[in-house]
Amino acid sequence: MGQSRKISSESEDSNLNSVGLVVKVKPMAEIKTGDFVVPGDFLATAEEFVPGEGAHEEDGKIYSSCTGVVLLDARTKRVSVFPRVSGPPSLKGGGTVIGRVEEVRDQTANVYIGVLKGHENRELPLPNLGTVHISQVQKGYVKDLHHQFRSGDIIRARVLSAQMGSIKLSTADDELGVVVATCSRCRTLLERENSKLKCPNCGNVEFRKLASDYRQGAL
Amino acid sequence: MEKPEKLIIDGKRLDGRAPEEMRPLKIEAGVLKRADGSAYVELGENKVLAAVYGPREMHPRHLQRPDTAVLRCRYNMAPFSVEERKRPGPDRRSVEISKVTRQALEPVLFLELYPRSVIDIFIEVLQADAGTRTAGITAAAVALADAGIPMRDLVSSVAVGKIDDMIVLDLTKEEDQWGTTDMPVAIVPRKKLVSLLQMDGNLTEEEFKRALDLAFRGCEQIYQAQRQALKEKYAIKPEGE
Ligand SMILES: [Zn+2]
Repeated sequence: MGQSRKISSESEDSNLNSVGLVVKVKPMAEIKTGDFVVPGDFLATAEEFVPGEGAHEEDGKIYSSCTGVVLLDARTKRVSVFPRVSGPPSLKGGGTVIGRVEEVRDQTANVYIGVLKGHENRELPLPNLGTVHISQVQKGYVKDLHHQFRSGDIIRARVLSAQMGSIKLSTADDELGVVVATCSRCRTLLERENSKLKCPNCGNVEFRKLASDYRQGAL
Repeated sequence: MEKPEKLIIDGKRLDGRAPEEMRPLKIEAGVLKRADGSAYVELGENKVLAAVYGPREMHPRHLQRPDTAVLRCRYNMAPFSVEERKRPGPDRRSVEISKVTRQALEPVLFLELYPRSVIDIFIEVLQADAGTRTAGITAAAVALADAGIPMRDLVSSVAVGKIDDMIVLDLTKEEDQWGTTDMPVAIVPRKKLVSLLQMDGNLTEEEFKRALDLAFRGCEQIYQAQRQALKEKYAIKPEGE
């Protein structure tokens, strides 16, 4: 905020005396569930509520950080703003993503996540690198991860969790797994033959954790 | 155009406004389908469009910052926006306005939420009649809100100035050209933070105080119009309306 400076110190911020006690509180309109707010609107004090989604705290007060409708939860003491605008997609547990396998290691496959389902026309903010642990590839036991994924595969996965920049993914469901794969010898698109993949060009046979609609459906 | 003898006659400006009166203002949110967020502002004869994209991965990569997003602004005057057809592309003025626009908006964004990313703002002036940089900031703030990018507040912006020894709000091109002083101001309304203040010309200390006070009042009107634009687009309308 280097370029900004505070011009007026009168207004509602002057209610602290020299020892920091609130001596005069400017009355603020009571906010209730269903109220329409825009960024910067006062929601509640931090003594009464904790900020939930779409809200932020500043100097002991909670303000809206988006355009939407207020939700006051008296039981959890949480105030949130349910957005009426569609913001940047954010990865949460339960979301379905489409991504490209970047690297396969012994225990994990790293996946560059391209799209969150339901938000196809908006780029995903960073971080967008997820991992599928060997235990989350399919319902049964996996001996060798390199037989399930190869770098370059396009996969459909479910988000298990997305916290602190670490995105954990799962493909342990019929509709999850590889949706498009190319031959690791000649890069031709592989065709499905029952549970195997076969290269129509060089005859190479490969294995993957396939999604039930491998190369059939829309992504 | 020749310099008019007076810019204020009998307390009225050449376009009939009182000194502290703003030109007619219209703000619309979400006007572009393809952008992540957008807004359109008309202030008198000014017509300004703002489009927002992101946050998205910053390219080229060497411009990425590991701990924060970068706000990137491009202010552009369409070649047909002024009477003397303008050479297309960025000139020194556009580069400078792009920079101060970015600085005016940065304080309200949580850029630290999006490391290695960029938020792009494109401001396109379709028709210009003085005050396009402030109209651009006003439009960009609404476009950022329309894009659902988390914000601490909006940013409202307007110019004040001095013509015929009077402090006036929202100068026209004539007044900007023949007046003494032009002072664009942007304000973060809730905290009353000044995030842009430039001055072309001179003011005495007393005049500066009055000009800044008038800018605050002008920005309050802009702010209410910004809120109204978001409300019109996004408030849930009761049945039958
Ligand atoms: Zn092959």
